[in-house]
Amino acid sequence: MIGLEIHAQITALKSKLFCSCRGNYRDLRANSNICEICCGLPGSLPIINQRAIEFSTMTSIALGCKVPEKIMFYRKNYFYPDLPKNFQITQYNVYGISSIGIDGKYELDDAKQIRISRIQLEEDPGRIAYSEGGMNVRNSALIDYNRAGVALIEIVTEPDFTGPKEVRQFLNKLSLTLEHLGVCDTLLEGSVRCDVNVSMNGGNRVEIKNINSFKEVEKAINYEITRQSSVYNRNLKVEHETRHWDDKKKITFKARSKEEEHDYRYFPEPDIPIIVLGSDFVANLERQMPELPIQRFDRFISKYKLSEHTSNILINDKKLADFFESVLKLHFSPTEIANILVTDFKSLIEDDTESTDYLKNLKVKPEHIAELVKLIEDNKISRITAKDILVKIFESGKLPSEVVSSNNSYKIADEKTIMDAVQSVFDNEKSAVEDAKKNREAINFLLGKVMKFTNGRADPKIAMRIINSKLSDPEKQ
Amino acid sequence: MTNLKDLLAHEVVVGLTEGQFSAEEYVISILKRIEEVESKVHSFITLDSEGALSSAKILDKKLREKEEIGQLAGVVVGIKDNISTQGIRTTCASRILEKYVPTYDATVIKNLKENGAIILGKLNLDEFGMGSTTEYSRYQPTHNPWNLDYVPGGSSGGSGAAVAAGECTVALGSDTGGSIRCPSSFCSVVGLKPTYGRVSRYGLISYANSLEQIGPICRSVKDLVMMLNIISGKDRMDSTSMSSSPITVSNKSNNLNVAIIKELITDSDPEVTKSVYGASEKFREIGCSCEEVSINNLNYALPSYYTLASAEASSNLARYDNLRYGFDYPIEEYKWETYFSNVRESFGEEVKRRILIGSYVLSSGYYGKYYLKARRLRSLLRLELLTLFKKYDLLIGPTMPILPFKFGEKIDDPIKMYLVDINTVLANLAGIPAISLPIGFSNGLPIGLQIMAAPFEEQKLLDASYELEKVINIQRVPNSI
Amino acid sequence: MKNNMISKEDLEHLAQISRINLTENELEKFPKQLDKTIEYIDILKELALDDSVKLDLPELRFEELRKDEINMSDDMRLSKNITEDGFLRGPKMK
Repeated sequence: MIGLEIHAQITALKSKLFCSCRGNYRDLRANSNICEICCGLPGSLPIINQRAIEFSTMTSIALGCKVPEKIMFYRKNYFYPDLPKNFQITQYNVYGISSIGIDGKYELDDAKQIRISRIQLEEDPGRIAYSEGGMNVRNSALIDYNRAGVALIEIVTEPDFTGPKEVRQFLNKLSLTLEHLGVCDTLLEGSVRCDVNVSMNGGNRVEIKNINSFKEVEKAINYEITRQSSVYNRNLKVEHETRHWDDKKKITFKARSKEEEHDYRYFPEPDIPIIVLGSDFVANLERQMPELPIQRFDRFISKYKLSEHTSNILINDKKLADFFESVLKLHFSPTEIANILVTDFKSLIEDDTESTDYLKNLKVKPEHIAELVKLIEDNKISRITAKDILVKIFESGKLPSEVVSSNNSYKIADEKTIMDAVQSVFDNEKSAVEDAKKNREAINFLLGKVMKFTNGRADPKIAMRIINSKLSDPEKQ
Repeated sequence: MTNLKDLLAHEVVVGLTEGQFSAEEYVISILKRIEEVESKVHSFITLDSEGALSSAKILDKKLREKEEIGQLAGVVVGIKDNISTQGIRTTCASRILEKYVPTYDATVIKNLKENGAIILGKLNLDEFGMGSTTEYSRYQPTHNPWNLDYVPGGSSGGSGAAVAAGECTVALGSDTGGSIRCPSSFCSVVGLKPTYGRVSRYGLISYANSLEQIGPICRSVKDLVMMLNIISGKDRMDSTSMSSSPITVSNKSNNLNVAIIKELITDSDPEVTKSVYGASEKFREIGCSCEEVSINNLNYALPSYYTLASAEASSNLARYDNLRYGFDYPIEEYKWETYFSNVRESFGEEVKRRILIGSYVLSSGYYGKYYLKARRLRSLLRLELLTLFKKYDLLIGPTMPILPFKFGEKIDDPIKMYLVDINTVLANLAGIPAISLPIGFSNGLPIGLQIMAAPFEEQKLLDASYELEKVINIQRVPNSI
Repeated sequence: MKNNMISKEDLEHLAQISRINLTENELEKFPKQLDKTIEYIDILKELALDDSVKLDLPELRFEELRKDEINMSDDMRLSKNITEDGFLRGPKMK
């Protein structure tokens, strides 16, 4: 049995959860993105970010959770150098519902439901850099509060997963959903963290912490399952403990025993009143919120008449789907455009998909594809030519029409030219011609030769017609 | 010309505007007074004479150039040392903040400065606001100007004493369980705890956030109204603050229904009881009715208060780990396992006790037994008082059940000390406004009357106080210190 | 913790979770003092209060909340124990 506890930063926010410092703390000089509030200076008070509540509600809705009409915040009290107030402002459901989402469910591909226990809004602590690198810091830790106070959404599932593959699927779908909502860019460094609970055969639960990206989760679970199995095989008991994932050595190791059960002494945060969302809040938000992957999928099929297969490929790559719809705005030909994007276009960009900005930095823009498709549909170039043109515009950024005219790639529709080409092929392939008279399959061979002869530019329909008529008319050979 | 130091706030503003004296002259007279008495009273932790003189000079320049000077122009304000003042050390009377200099002003400080007030310095208190005599200050105890062997009350003891001794025109204090009203009563000055949420807490160094408010301590009700209007207001930096209407001091007679809370009188010192009954007569003199009324649940009020206040304090004070601010502590002592505990050994005894009790009541298994019960009692009490306020405009009683006492009398027994707050915690638990008005003396020791009103009914409260002040006419400044 | 008697171990546990070192003197006198306080607040158990008593807590409507905008102040700088690169020096973790 496997359960997940995911922390996703709301990277879409401009400011932090309880103050107006920047929400994006990356690449800033240490302790330059701070204020009295996020540093916990005496006398400072938290001021909650309205948009954070919207984003976390959208996430709750997307995960099928119930959203209460009123929410509260609690203090989780413990001491740690990266926690400026030595308590974290979070949410807690033991004395009544306080968090932004509860009792949800999320469906995997095989219709299996994963139950979502709760979703809560809370603040991120700062970061501790341990003593590495010179600077005479062997005797102290280095603390940076730039990240302290950034908004986090915590998503906790029930232990409904039966294996690492299901977990991976869930995390992929979750990333996609978060991306569609615009809540969290999961490719940004440090934007997601995942803790995993693994228990096998009804044995003790082991918690694995410190997994810093979704990609590592599957590896960590696989390792842990192997480890627990080997413990069993030696007739030993798996301990109930907390382990850490070491992503360099790719192992889990037992956490320092200092991590005892904390008594967090939760109590309601007195500086933040109860936030009244109201009875219409969820309905209003549902109307305004971005389309979820499943909704977009349905729309692609019903509105654009795309196949399920093609829609699936597009949906699973939000940036590609967005690109697709941008092209559609310029030229409405969904099937043709989609086909190019999910085949040739996709294979050209394959290497680049890891970067957050991929597609933005491409030389090819929606206008290019729109024009390319128009050229095909206007019968000015063949699909085969189009493939070559695509490669060229990828490299140069030139418009298809430019490339076509400079390379003289226009389709040949002129009968005489094609006839000469056919004649030339017939002259050189006498045995193939004989075969073709008896065997229909062999005609395609001849067609292929004609296309090659004309650098792919001949209109295949016309060429085929001419070939057929020449074959059936002994005079024209 | 009367001795400048005796001027009330509203008289200072008029005097300055009319050119009777300059702001600099006024500040100098205050500083002279401080020189005379401070070594006996010990109100200040940090005195910023340079800053005050410099502000005075700027004000004088504005006056000369006929610029806007603000409603509190020239008024010299002492600030309780748990309120953040940018650039002026703020210690909460603790060793743990010995070297802390805030980088920002509390909202109330901004408001004062914008209206021309002059910030004089930081006044003594019980460490972190926990106490009723200022004996728990880690710097020095403050002495009651009416009799130096006696405590000035607490936790805003420095504020009460400074105002009574003429060491500032007015002062700001904070009140969590009576910390403005107690020193006001013991020092024969006027002090108000506003309705919870009326005054922004941004910059008030938290002891118990759901209970406390910043409030003014002055030598007259009119001064108090001036100060209250300047510091009140909804503040975007404090989510628990709310907007309110400004108060106007009026001369109308009242026709208010007043009630004495029986339970608050029964266990009081007989001298105190006598004074309070005397005051109720005065109420009738000014046209109000006065009867006696009973409150249930009162014996749970103080235990609830201590449960909630300690719980909140244990969390609010967790941040004092000397990493980002604090005091000097040898760097070689920085080892993770022992670091926090070593640093926090520097808290005083009472603070430690409250933090420990707070951790106790919040620990797993005890939350329902103490904290949750206390929260519920609090709601019950508030409901009861609000119901009473449908029938009565004001509820009165003695601010303190006893007369001021000598140093050391209660310090060895925490419970004895806590019981001193028994009359005042009601208003904090219910979030209602409450004032302490001087009504008499016994053997030269001051007695105060507490008046409470419904939430945001400060106007009624201050109307009655203003009228009562006129007919009772108690001395506000001791003849000699 | 039973019968309101705070033992030395109880006290040490509380001190540990609160991260406060106690002096010898305090270790001596605190148990009795804390006992008395707990005994004093124990009266709350007489209250038979259940969920029917509504908690009277302040409320804020969603519409009144802070808008998501950046507003950095230049005044805030940490000044204690800062390294050249701007990090705050803290206790040795290992």
